[in-house]
Amino acid sequence: MTQEAVTLTIDGKEVTVPKGTLIIRAAEQLGIEIPRFCDHPLLEPAGACRQCYVEVEGQAKLFTSCTATVAPGMAVRTQNSSEVVHEAQVANLEFLLLNHPLDCPICDRGGECPLQDQALAFGPGESRYVEAKRTFEKPIPLSPLVGLDRERCVLCARCTRFCDQISGDRFIELFARGAGERVSIAAGEDFLSPFSGNTIQICPVGALTATPYRFVARPFDLSSVDTVCPHCSAGCNVKLDVRRGKVVRHLARDNLDVNDAWLCDKGRFAFRFPDDERRVTIPLLRDRGLEPTSFGEVMDAIGDWSRGKRVAFLTGGRLADEDAYALSKVARTAFVTNDLDHRREFAGGEAERLAAVAVTDRALSVTYRDVERAKAIVVAGLDAEQEVPILHLRLRKAARRGARIFVLNPRRTRLWDVAEHVLCRPGQEAHVLEQIVDGEGGDSGVGRAADALREAGEAGVVLAGMRLAEHPLAADVALRAARRTGARFSLVPRRAGDKGALAAGVHPRLLPGGRRVDDPGERAEVEAVWGELKNVVPGRNAKQILEAAANREIDVLFLVGVDPLRDFPDARLARHALENVPYKVVQSLELGSLEPFADAFLPAAAFPERDAHFTTWEGRAQRIRPVRGPAGLSRPDWEIFAGLARAMGGSLGFESLEDLQEESVGLLSPRAFSGGASAWVGAGAPQWIDELTLFTYPLLVDEGRLSEGASELKAALEEKPFLEIHPVDADKRSIADGGEVRVRTQAGQAVVPVRVTPDIAEGSVFVPFNQPGLAANTLLSGRFTAGATVEAVAAAEAAADPERLTVGGGP
Amino acid sequence: MDPRRAGGRGVTTDRIITRNWGNPDVFHVDGYVANGGYAGLKKALAMAPEDVIELVKGSGLRGRGGAGFPTGVKWSFVPQDTGKPTYVVCNFDESEPGTFNNRELVDREPHQLLEGLAIAAYAVRCHNAYIYVRGEFLHQGTIVRRAVEEAYDRGFLGKGICGSDFDLDVVPHRGAGAYICGEETGLLNSLEGFRGQPRQRPPFPAVEGLYASPTVINNVETLCNVPHILENGADWFRGFGTAKSPGTKVFSVSGKVERPGNYEVPMGTPFRVLLEEHAGGVLGGKALKAWTPGGSSTPMLTAEHLDVGLDFESLQAAGSLLGTGAAIVLDETDCVVEAARRLLAFYAHESCGKCTPCREGTWWAVRVLSRIEEGLGRPEDLPIMNDLGRNILFRAFCPLADGAVSPITSTLTYFREEYEAHVREGRCPFTGSGPGRRIEEVAS
Repeated sequence: MTQEAVTLTIDGKEVTVPKGTLIIRAAEQLGIEIPRFCDHPLLEPAGACRQCYVEVEGQAKLFTSCTATVAPGMAVRTQNSSEVVHEAQVANLEFLLLNHPLDCPICDRGGECPLQDQALAFGPGESRYVEAKRTFEKPIPLSPLVGLDRERCVLCARCTRFCDQISGDRFIELFARGAGERVSIAAGEDFLSPFSGNTIQICPVGALTATPYRFVARPFDLSSVDTVCPHCSAGCNVKLDVRRGKVVRHLARDNLDVNDAWLCDKGRFAFRFPDDERRVTIPLLRDRGLEPTSFGEVMDAIGDWSRGKRVAFLTGGRLADEDAYALSKVARTAFVTNDLDHRREFAGGEAERLAAVAVTDRALSVTYRDVERAKAIVVAGLDAEQEVPILHLRLRKAARRGARIFVLNPRRTRLWDVAEHVLCRPGQEAHVLEQIVDGEGGDSGVGRAADALREAGEAGVVLAGMRLAEHPLAADVALRAARRTGARFSLVPRRAGDKGALAAGVHPRLLPGGRRVDDPGERAEVEAVWGELKNVVPGRNAKQILEAAANREIDVLFLVGVDPLRDFPDARLARHALENVPYKVVQSLELGSLEPFADAFLPAAAFPERDAHFTTWEGRAQRIRPVRGPAGLSRPDWEIFAGLARAMGGSLGFESLEDLQEESVGLLSPRAFSGGASAWVGAGAPQWIDELTLFTYPLLVDEGRLSEGASELKAALEEKPFLEIHPVDADKRSIADGGEVRVRTQAGQAVVPVRVTPDIAEGSVFVPFNQPGLAANTLLSGRFTAGATVEAVAAAEAAADPERLTVGGGP
Repeated sequence: MDPRRAGGRGVTTDRIITRNWGNPDVFHVDGYVANGGYAGLKKALAMAPEDVIELVKGSGLRGRGGAGFPTGVKWSFVPQDTGKPTYVVCNFDESEPGTFNNRELVDREPHQLLEGLAIAAYAVRCHNAYIYVRGEFLHQGTIVRRAVEEAYDRGFLGKGICGSDFDLDVVPHRGAGAYICGEETGLLNSLEGFRGQPRQRPPFPAVEGLYASPTVINNVETLCNVPHILENGADWFRGFGTAKSPGTKVFSVSGKVERPGNYEVPMGTPFRVLLEEHAGGVLGGKALKAWTPGGSSTPMLTAEHLDVGLDFESLQAAGSLLGTGAAIVLDETDCVVEAARRLLAFYAHESCGKCTPCREGTWWAVRVLSRIEEGLGRPEDLPIMNDLGRNILFRAFCPLADGAVSPITSTLTYFREEYEAHVREGRCPFTGSGPGRRIEEVAS
């Protein structure tokens, strides 16, 4: 499609825009703001509020500029140059205010309300309406997060259109008609969309309000900062509002390259963790107990423990890019170890190395825009809605624009209405992807996916989620499928710090920029900046580190923003490791379940307290900014690492963030990548040894650290533990939907409520990773999948079972 | 037998589509066929579809649902190369206050409608047609359904109609009771199972209508004319009515008249003829006060307009519209404020709620009119009513709101003194209801 240009005048000023542009958008190009309520640039036009009237020369009737498209030579006059338009807008505002309660002084929206602003700017000063106003019951909780005040509603349908067109979660709808028309929800239903908060933000009045923000602040009470959401690798741009030092609200910022204008409910409502009462903001050192002390003393103690000893580092996904770089350097230079890892899955392989390089060179990666414009997309091993929610919205947007989407996952995702799903048992992904590589599959989902990718060519995209990292080289086969069909490829990690940590080399085999530690040439590039590396043998990955720790082969274990007891897919191994390492150093916001184990605690600054960057799944580094200083004595992680280097008698070579960034930019700039040959030689259909394959991944809202204090979010969206099983597998075991089952693995067993559903691959069972009452890592042995047996539990037995929802011993 | 009901097919009268109303046999398919029915369809099937469109174009037939768009032209707008199916939808959502001619056309001769529908479908190469029946028309819904069954049984619908290779399925669909579903895009939404709210135009239904496919939407009375045009030709049809408004129109006459009912008269017939010769004059010999030419959505006219011809052009020149051809007659004892209040209450109730001027404007108008009628009006209420008319007209999403303005502006134009009397006297001069004092006095 060629973009034909159209030239017209608005208020006498000439503007040229692509054919099909709405008048209201063309006016924006000229900086002319036409009043509006229902119009939203990312939603389809509604023409409902009628506020955006303009006059078009030669036309008797006024036009609504949000529905009328431009035409060549059109002469448009807005309220700025047409008295008729101005009067019509004033009259329409009078209509809108007839039944509006005018309760601005107690409305959460007061001070940042488009209706209030416009009424103030040009509305009638006094109402001519003397009759009784329409009243509704209020507020109505649509969910524990969203309250509805129908009296304030102007029926612009932004919220319902968002749910219909953007999130696809059509929980709310307009009901009834005339002046009785109202936003409503089916009786007994909750607004269970993980994107529900967006409807609050785009509401042009105070009709939809956020329970966590209800009566909390006025806009002029807030200090704000533009930053980036720390919850996942989506990298949504957010505005952080702080009142008297406390974070009270996250709002989405517009960025069409990243999150459009949206934010998931976790990013919006899980904002209390920096102010959680369990947070520790002073250094602690174990004497008789964990005693408060100074950074100097702790650093000295750690230096004493570590000199000449075997040291290992594990990190979580919270670290910013600069922290990861400092850690990568301090571990290898000061502590002379390659035993460091940010991962829990074990991708390895070419796809991961490519991902590490691609972080610095976006020509090798995929962007949101690529997804949006793609003609064919294969999403493998990724439940985007739960893991990278804004990517999920982008996939839906692509579908609306005509993309064909195929999801390869053991469990059906919420793309079910716009994508074709190929459900495959965990472990089978590589084999299925190989069919795409070989162009096999015929008239099946796989065959159609292969055809679609081939037809799309460069407009094809393959997204590999962390489920693929579970299987040896599955991600590599996905990469090969992309290469074979000409599609773009990206590995999509879940957590905000993952891509940055990968690029920085918080990895046993990879140095910054994806350089291999055992490749002399690549290593030399790093040594040119860091000095000679004394340890050139690839280190242990996370699992091997814990195993070594359990075998007393590690002397000092750094746990940086990670709790292996909760995060690592083998709770027992994690416990053995902690019990057998002489010194455990915890660097985090809080101690949590590590309190009995920690020998030293280093308080880290939370993301609203510091300057740094997070890198999105695409490889886009985005700046986070402080809205307040570090709490207590806490420090940014990179500063702590610099201090550790000094304690070890060395130096990281940078004393400021600017110096760090200047140093790292050389190592993290684009460089050529030549993919080595993969060891993959053909999978063949897998043979199952186990009766069933248990798999697990974290749902969006769970017991994760950064969701602490988000009580309303959890009340709305956190699910109780459950186990999903296919009807065929359930029938064989006389398992009925809604009952309880006992699941056994080599690691442990648990009794959980069961859901029998065809939305899971046969032979697989799913439990969420970390819901309240069941830590799934007690069922795992180092991987996120495990062989399992499942049996029905009689109701009476279940009630009497003391191990209900808990872990038992071995099988 | 009532002389108005005399005649039969082929009998030359001034009537076309009601000429068989004296013959109860035409209700069923056998009687309809025995009376010459479905001949027009057979004639059409022997022609090329394009020629059928040309013939209807040539007849000058204009849509009878209110807008008066030339029917043949509408059919010719349907693109034939989209790769999508084409639909014909009959709009039988007759809900305009004062209008009941579609209902009687179906009550008496449902196959006339089906024949017209089949011809329209053939002309635009449609194989799936729908009849959208007003939700409240329970009985008519049954009649349509049974007539469709009869037509299928006799091969006038279904596969290979009348031995031709033309297939047509017709699905009657009953609405859920909403005036807005008479608006064609609201109707399409309702037919698709969505909320009955109008859609943005463009795209127009001819290009993207039902299920985003090319769609023709015609009123019942429009389609009823089609078989006769096929049978007798365009020139014959142009023999009725005026040059720009050919044919006849079935007028529903109600209110204060001696003989309320439906009367088919040639377009251009003066209202005086319809009122006095057909409807028997104003009830009880009282004086005519006001009348609507085309239902409640058309501006009221008065006794001074008695000789205005009932056709699109003449009525527009007189400041009103032909609309659906429904004359509601008010006599000298009727209060126009009360009449306006009742009509506005209808529009406020039927407003779909989508857009602001209609939803809020009708709500406000009802309240102000109610106050005035109850003797609680204030002098400043009249400017408010004026403003309401101005601020709603042509500002809403769809024409429903424009219809709601008609009773306001026309009564203010012709009967402003009556409003002022209500306010001045603090009561309704006709019913006497109200405190009888100015509201300020009541308050003090």
